[in-house]
Amino acid sequence: MSDFLTLFIKQLQSPTLGFLIGGVVVASFGSQLAIPDSIYRFITFFLLLKIGLSGGIAIRNSNFSEVLLPALAAVVLGIVIVLISRYTLARLPGIKLPDAVATGGLFGAVSGSTLAAVLPQLDSAKIPYEAWTAALYPFMDIPALVTAIVVASVYISKRTGNTSDKVEIWPIVKESLQSSAVTALLLGVALGIATKPEPVYESFFSPLFRGFLSILMIIMGMEAAQRMNELRKVAQWFAIYAFIAPILHGFLAFGLGLVIHKITGFSIGGAVVLAVIAASSSDISGPPTLRAGIPSANPSAYIGASTAIGTPVAIAICIPLFIGLAEMMLGR
Amino acid sequence: MSQQVWKLVIVAEEILSKKLTKLIKDAGATGYTVMAAGGEGSRNVRSTGEPSVSHTLSNVKIEVLTGTRELADKITHLIESKYYADYSIITYISQVEALRDHKF
Repeated sequence: MSDFLTLFIKQLQSPTLGFLIGGVVVASFGSQLAIPDSIYRFITFFLLLKIGLSGGIAIRNSNFSEVLLPALAAVVLGIVIVLISRYTLARLPGIKLPDAVATGGLFGAVSGSTLAAVLPQLDSAKIPYEAWTAALYPFMDIPALVTAIVVASVYISKRTGNTSDKVEIWPIVKESLQSSAVTALLLGVALGIATKPEPVYESFFSPLFRGFLSILMIIMGMEAAQRMNELRKVAQWFAIYAFIAPILHGFLAFGLGLVIHKITGFSIGGAVVLAVIAASSSDISGPPTLRAGIPSANPSAYIGASTAIGTPVAIAICIPLFIGLAEMMLGR
Repeated sequence: MSQQVWKLVIVAEEILSKKLTKLIKDAGATGYTVMAAGGEGSRNVRSTGEPSVSHTLSNVKIEVLTGTRELADKITHLIESKYYADYSIITYISQVEALRDHKF
């Protein structure tokens, strides 16, 4: 146990986390520092393209059947996470079901920044993982958003007695696939498989990755501090859910990952990636999809819960936690 | 060379932008102008320009010039029935003078 704590504390001192806290601190002190929206968009595009490229290169050199079980696990997790919110958060006093399910949908969906944060930390800890695990992103993201919108719509149409409105699933899937995050990632995967991008990958994408990631962490920190105000306007249960859910979802996914590890030899590092993807909550593509899909849900509730608490917990607690666990299992 | 026309202004959530402009064109308006907007209303401060991870909290202001009051009312009613309940959105109208000779 003390070994685990030492490993956990060592992970807490990673620069990724330092930049995140730096962003929270400057924004809480009302700093005028502003990073233009377009820079933020470019950085997430760059990071996801790089992750996609390394995933594509890995898929090109791997056996496709290895990907099947982890991809299936990702789909199941995306759906289960939303159902958990349906039967826990939504049952709490004073919580409206659409708000709760939208929050669950966002927590089931995936954050590109959290995904970008875990990979270099696994590299630093020298824990091997399959680079294609990053390509599991859409396998969890899309089912979570679809489930949330379907569950909320069914509930709303039952309550209003208006059963004529059927939920169309394909437009939700299409919108998720067309979102900037998933597009960047899939473009990277496709280029990684179809072309040989190693020269540009080695000379451009790989060296700049950590630098851009640290800037993104400052932005995420600032964003978290600003969204705290939104969260204060909604029930405290959302804050409590946002703190517990990433850790719980991470453990569920890590457990599933270890089962797949036993069956197919999926790496423990890969189980960490799966756990962190499950722990993360969407910040780019999820909110607009949910706002359009569940219009009656209060965006302050789900965006506040995800951005102000969910993402910091996923980056600051879940990443060190699961890397620490993996190091312990690898007998370090 | 000027004519009296109606200026319908819609301030709404940015995620509605595409749907609203489609609705405006489908209703028969000849054109519109979209601007980024920010401000405060009954659904809290909504701004544009600060670093924002998702555009869910940004606003747009859409201006439509219509030749008749009926067309402006038609657009307003369509927006009202579809979006007033769940979204931050306001509409207002004024009479303006269009300086260019143009069929609205």
